[in-house]
Amino acid sequence: MKKNNTLLKNIFNVLFPVISALILGGIIIAAIGENPFLTYSVMIKKSLFSLDGLLKTLHFAAPLILTGLAIAITFKANIFNMGVEGQAVLGAFFAGVVGFTVKGLPPVLHITLCVLTGIVVGMLFALIPALLKAYFNVNEMVVTLMLNYVVVEIVKFLSQGVFKDPASGYVSTYPIAESAMFKKIFGSNLTVFFFIALIVFGIMYIVFNKSKLGYEVKAIGKNPEFSEATGMNVSKKIIIIMLISGAISGLAGAGFLMSEKYRFTLDFSGSPGLGWDGMLIALLGSHNPVGILVAAVFYAALKTGSDYIGVFTNVPKDIVGVIQGILILLLSVKFFNEKFYLFEKVKLLWKKSSSTDFNK
Amino acid sequence: MYAIEAVNLTKKYGDFVANDNINLTIGKGEITAIVGENGAGKTTLMNMFFGLQRPTSGELLVNGKKVSFGSSLDAINCGLGMVHQHFKLVPSLTVFENILLGVEKNKKINISQKIKLKTPIINKNFEKKEVQKIIEDYKFELKADDIVENISIGAKQRVEILKMLYRNVDILIFDEPTAVLTPQEVDELLLSFKELKNQGKTIILITHKLREVMEVSDKVIVIKRGKVVGSKATKDTSSAEIAKMMVGREVILNVSKEDKDVSGNKVAYSVSKLSTRDNFGKKVIEDISFEIKEGEILGVAGVEGNGQSELVRVLSGLMESTEGSVRLYDKDITNKWPSSLRSAGIGIVPEDRYAQGLCKDMTIFENIIAGYHGNKKVCRNGILLKNEIENTSNKLIEKYDIRVAEKNGNVSQLSGGNAQKIIVAREFDSDPKVLIVSQPTRGVDIGSIEFIHNKILELRSENKAILLVSSELSEIMNLSDRIIVMYKGRIVGEVEGRKADSTEIGLLMAGLSLE
Amino acid sequence: MSLLNNILYDMIYHSAPLILAVLGGLFAHKANVLNIGLEGMMLMGAFSSTLFVLITGNLWLGILISVLCTLVLGLIFSFFGITMKSNFIITGFGINIFVAALSSFVLKYMEMANINVSSIVNTAGLKISIPVIKDIPILNSLLSGHTAITYLSIILIAVVTVIMYNTKFGVYVRVVGENEEAARSVGINSAAIKYIAVLIGAALCGLAGANLAVERMALFTNNMTAGRGFIAIAAIYCGQAKPIKSAMYAILFGLAKSLAINLALFAGPASGLFEIVPYLMIVIVLFAVSAIEKRRTNIRGFKLE
Repeated sequence: MKKNNTLLKNIFNVLFPVISALILGGIIIAAIGENPFLTYSVMIKKSLFSLDGLLKTLHFAAPLILTGLAIAITFKANIFNMGVEGQAVLGAFFAGVVGFTVKGLPPVLHITLCVLTGIVVGMLFALIPALLKAYFNVNEMVVTLMLNYVVVEIVKFLSQGVFKDPASGYVSTYPIAESAMFKKIFGSNLTVFFFIALIVFGIMYIVFNKSKLGYEVKAIGKNPEFSEATGMNVSKKIIIIMLISGAISGLAGAGFLMSEKYRFTLDFSGSPGLGWDGMLIALLGSHNPVGILVAAVFYAALKTGSDYIGVFTNVPKDIVGVIQGILILLLSVKFFNEKFYLFEKVKLLWKKSSSTDFNK
Repeated sequence: MYAIEAVNLTKKYGDFVANDNINLTIGKGEITAIVGENGAGKTTLMNMFFGLQRPTSGELLVNGKKVSFGSSLDAINCGLGMVHQHFKLVPSLTVFENILLGVEKNKKINISQKIKLKTPIINKNFEKKEVQKIIEDYKFELKADDIVENISIGAKQRVEILKMLYRNVDILIFDEPTAVLTPQEVDELLLSFKELKNQGKTIILITHKLREVMEVSDKVIVIKRGKVVGSKATKDTSSAEIAKMMVGREVILNVSKEDKDVSGNKVAYSVSKLSTRDNFGKKVIEDISFEIKEGEILGVAGVEGNGQSELVRVLSGLMESTEGSVRLYDKDITNKWPSSLRSAGIGIVPEDRYAQGLCKDMTIFENIIAGYHGNKKVCRNGILLKNEIENTSNKLIEKYDIRVAEKNGNVSQLSGGNAQKIIVAREFDSDPKVLIVSQPTRGVDIGSIEFIHNKILELRSENKAILLVSSELSEIMNLSDRIIVMYKGRIVGEVEGRKADSTEIGLLMAGLSLE
Repeated sequence: MSLLNNILYDMIYHSAPLILAVLGGLFAHKANVLNIGLEGMMLMGAFSSTLFVLITGNLWLGILISVLCTLVLGLIFSFFGITMKSNFIITGFGINIFVAALSSFVLKYMEMANINVSSIVNTAGLKISIPVIKDIPILNSLLSGHTAITYLSIILIAVVTVIMYNTKFGVYVRVVGENEEAARSVGINSAAIKYIAVLIGAALCGLAGANLAVERMALFTNNMTAGRGFIAIAAIYCGQAKPIKSAMYAILFGLAKSLAINLALFAGPASGLFEIVPYLMIVIVLFAVSAIEKRRTNIRGFKLE
């Protein structure tokens, strides 16, 4: 009974922002003189209501599932790893480098090697903020954010320099070898990478819900002092959590490169980027693996659909980013408490803050 | 006319009735004591008097006039002031800035005789002088420009009192004012009560310490489970009678404890020359040495803030020691982390239940395995065994008589006593060799206190070594075989539990034997 | 101009937006509201100032409107964060992502790669030389030839110090941050104080953005703030939200940027890598500050902030 109520509350807490954000996005579309209903229907039709579109949506959901999980595991422990973006980009870049420098390997080996490179690079890069946080209590959020900019400059430098493909008209590395590509299955948009993402999802589901580590992540997020006092060795756990996050991020970047882009370009991660999309998805999914899976597909549908709206309307596809921003804003608030007293809450807010009612 | 009159005052939180039809009167110029156990509803009542909470129903009259306070500011304007148990002071500001908070005086520029321009700049010099004057008026021992975080607790309390007096209140409410004071500071405070009374102020004293009630009050009102159960002139009653009214039965808080000779037993736990420093480099515990034998309870007494918290932190692995060593039998466990301490066989009941002992936002099951969640019994290959956890938890809930409404619910639903019993169950039942127990019954109902005390004695008879830290002197004296007293981070004395005398320990707690 | 002069001039040039964001952000920080949205607010300042200069054709009107735009963002942040008690960090990131997307959405809609207003704004003419000082070597690079908002940022360091320590508002901001209960018990409306603190930050970020885009270059490009809002947060952290100390860290980061740019000229093909210097330096400075703090404590573990 009570559990159902909580579930319902959680669903409302997600649905309300989603619907509000779509309405606000619609108002913006209307404001530039376009038809919001047409825009949204194009988006959904193309991304969910055709087999081809649906498979494309799932294909684009794969890296998003991963970055969503990567963010969620750290956010759940109340660690703000904003470096998922950088970890994914760096992982992708070096997976790409291995993809075009190593030649003559059988596909299975080559793909494994590239994927492992991405994972290891992601982990190593996540290790810097992890060590700083765990042993010196350096604010991980600022550090990861700054390192993201460092990554941008480093990959820019490298792809303009040593790894630049002179045959390409714009800044880009060489394309990866055929043997390092995730092939499309039966001509559809789906590749093996999607299934790898699903396997990672399965593992993370167990980690989050059944494992000792998941229990500790939850405890650290809720009360780090308690966690330390009950012997969870929070510093060590922070490092482990960050390494997992880095590994998944690196995998996300590598997989996206090997299944979609095939070469590294400066706009590889898109705007605002895989990591930031992951943040939205983690929030939408309430840091819960199943929620993340659903949210990733939903968001991938929006993104896939947005590619088509330009054909039928004059709405720039960046509208998805705007909706994303609004959605994150709205998701930061819990609109419904245990008893769905949305309006009660709003009413309370207008009362002077000076009369404190202790929740005794 | 009364200073305060409450008519059928009621406060409900959902289904819980914190105050039930309270009717009482506070005489002008008198000192009225409101007594009751923890959780009896005293604080709720005072919060309604002071405008921090609104009554659900009923009326409140101040000086004969009906009032309805929307905030504490309304109460202050009506002449009511409150000195809270947890001071509402800003540590980084000076004494005068704290006293004048909200009523700052700005600098004025004299353009001509008549026109004065008010600037937005605060006139600190003027403020300082004004505060120094009122300090002298009331003969308080304070300096106006000291920074509040550097002054003693007693001085902080005086700042709170002055903050109210500056606002011209004539009714002063004190919420548990002596809980954090040394016996000497308590005496000074009681003296200033009398002084304030002489100046015509009305004083309401909320407390559960009967000595103070008998010493200063004119009238006693007893509250139990949200109701007024007694109201008497102090001279017509006795502490025993008040105590009886408070708990509704004759209290003999003496647990039966048989004496036993442990002198032949092995030393289980020994601490030698332990010291550590706080963030400012100050030594907060210094040169602490003691031994606990099997089957012995060692009590640590002291006024709060004399290093007991830090000692427990160091011993439970939450703080590093800078010097000294800790041994469990012949094993060195100095500066080991909490996980190693637990696996070595040390059970820990931490001081702050909700900060270190429990996670309020996690379920009862999740809390009951905390610290032991890696044990083979509940965890295999990194996966938690749900059924095993539920079985163990259910057994413990039964064994320790933990009253839970919803087994799958969060710990936040539990009362203080039941929440504490979760920690006790977890730590006592893991078969530790040594137990470190800190403030085991703070904010806990009488029934649970008895239960927990008996469990501690049970472990004693099972030959465990127990370190008991508590600021409740009676608890220490009832349970301990030996008592050490801490003052300013050092051990200043040791007494046999059997021969302990509260006056002697009180003197030690005040650091008086040092001279 | 010599290399030293260039370095000093660029240091002030790059410090100005940081100082403004730092001075604005530290009110909220002192009031215990972590405003991660500084970055988005600054970007909004840059975007809206250029956009409205383009629309109105008037520099100062454009800047004024941009400050109004950031104030709206500040109100949104405050409403969510303070009134609705949201998770500040996530609300802040929502602001950041929203502004970045909104500006690129508008650019796409207007079919422009960037907003260029150099036909309206003559950036060279906005530089103000100070008599006497402009003839003193060294000092002339530091204190002459800058823009109005740059001078304002330096003057504001002193103004903010006075506000923070000598006015009611400043005292209340600190009280609210340190002990909200104490503030309430004497009738200080803590929510109002927090709102104002956030709004001051928003307005100054608006100016910072305007300085960055319109006043210096008469140009807006996507994501042109490049993490300056976060750098400001790092400076506030390191300076413990004390106005002068935090502003000094902002200038230190300005120096890093200036060094990176001026020294990159000598680095040949590796010059691109110098861009990472300011960001790396922040990590190192944060590390140093935190490590010193950490060494002082014997307490293990982490507390919920």
